[in-house]
Amino acid sequence: MNPARVSLRSVTASVAALAIALFLGGCGEDEWHGKNITGLMPELEFELIDENGDPVTEEVFAGEPVAMYFGFTHCPDICPTTLARLAAAARRLPESIGKNLQLAFVSVDPARDDPDQLERYTDAFSDRMLGLTGTQKQLRALTRRYRVTFGYEEPGADGSYEVSHSSAILVFDAELEPRLMLLDDLNVAQIAEDLERLLEGSRSDS
Amino acid sequence: MKQGKVILASAVVALVALLGGALWWVAQVAPESPLTVDNPRVRMVPGGGPMAGYMEIGNHGDSPIRLVAADSPAFGNVMIHRTVVRDGQARMEHQRDGVEIQPGDSAVFKPRDLHLMLMQPQTELEVGDTVAVVLTFEGIEPADWPIAFTVVPVTSQ
Repeated sequence: MNPARVSLRSVTASVAALAIALFLGGCGEDEWHGKNITGLMPELEFELIDENGDPVTEEVFAGEPVAMYFGFTHCPDICPTTLARLAAAARRLPESIGKNLQLAFVSVDPARDDPDQLERYTDAFSDRMLGLTGTQKQLRALTRRYRVTFGYEEPGADGSYEVSHSSAILVFDAELEPRLMLLDDLNVAQIAEDLERLLEGSRSDS
Repeated sequence: MKQGKVILASAVVALVALLGGALWWVAQVAPESPLTVDNPRVRMVPGGGPMAGYMEIGNHGDSPIRLVAADSPAFGNVMIHRTVVRDGQARMEHQRDGVEIQPGDSAVFKPRDLHLMLMQPQTELEVGDTVAVVLTFEGIEPADWPIAFTVVPVTSQ
């Protein structure tokens, strides 16, 4: 094989690799860690009950962005892990853009999660986390709206049962338009970066 | 007086020799524990619901071992679970056959993965408390390994 040709080929390959890297690097600025769902789903709308047992609608968040997670308090592993990451990310945001962000935990297990239980649970993560739940019909209406689901598994011998639920956090902007879906594998820094970018963007838009 | 000093010095020398010998024996002769449990912790969840137990179990023996059960006086029931996320849907899978660990390998119980599901807390636990958990194995003698788990904050990852 001709050595000159080989080196020419490797130079071409290097240039191509560099170009691709630059291109991807440039594109990376537009990439979110989560999934951009802007325009893909309808604005937030619900009828639920809050931690005081009072009926509430999406109006409770009106004018403020909200990050929402569906789970249940008898979930010892993924729910606390995700909620703790979300709360830590919210604390990391600069005061000027993070102060209005609301956090919401919607329990899809109303049989076990009464308002008191919800309050004790959400307070452990953040004093700005609001616990919500509702009837099966109300919960189904909200989850269907965002194409997520939940279900109950067969109870064990002691009567306890598992609940399957969406693993992602939904983020709505101040107009309550769904903007981001943060998957459960994101770390605190990634969640904070996405939230900061979204909130900064919506602030400069207004 | 002088004799007393000599006796004292001899005693000190003998003691040092004994201690040294003991240390040497531990380092050279005593076998390494065939099983280790590192960083055993229970993540606090308020409200009386179940909590998750995490740890790393190392198998340093020559044959596979299997964690088949866990039990704790601090909880009404303990199960071995794994969180599985499929198509954006999270659920917990009961590990009915336990968790097998090959020789030289380890099983890592960590958030969003394997965990002990510690149900019905019997007392109000606080961060910093120690909780006794007995891990039961197959393929190793003795079968029961009492381990002290530390209660850590709900926000710990």
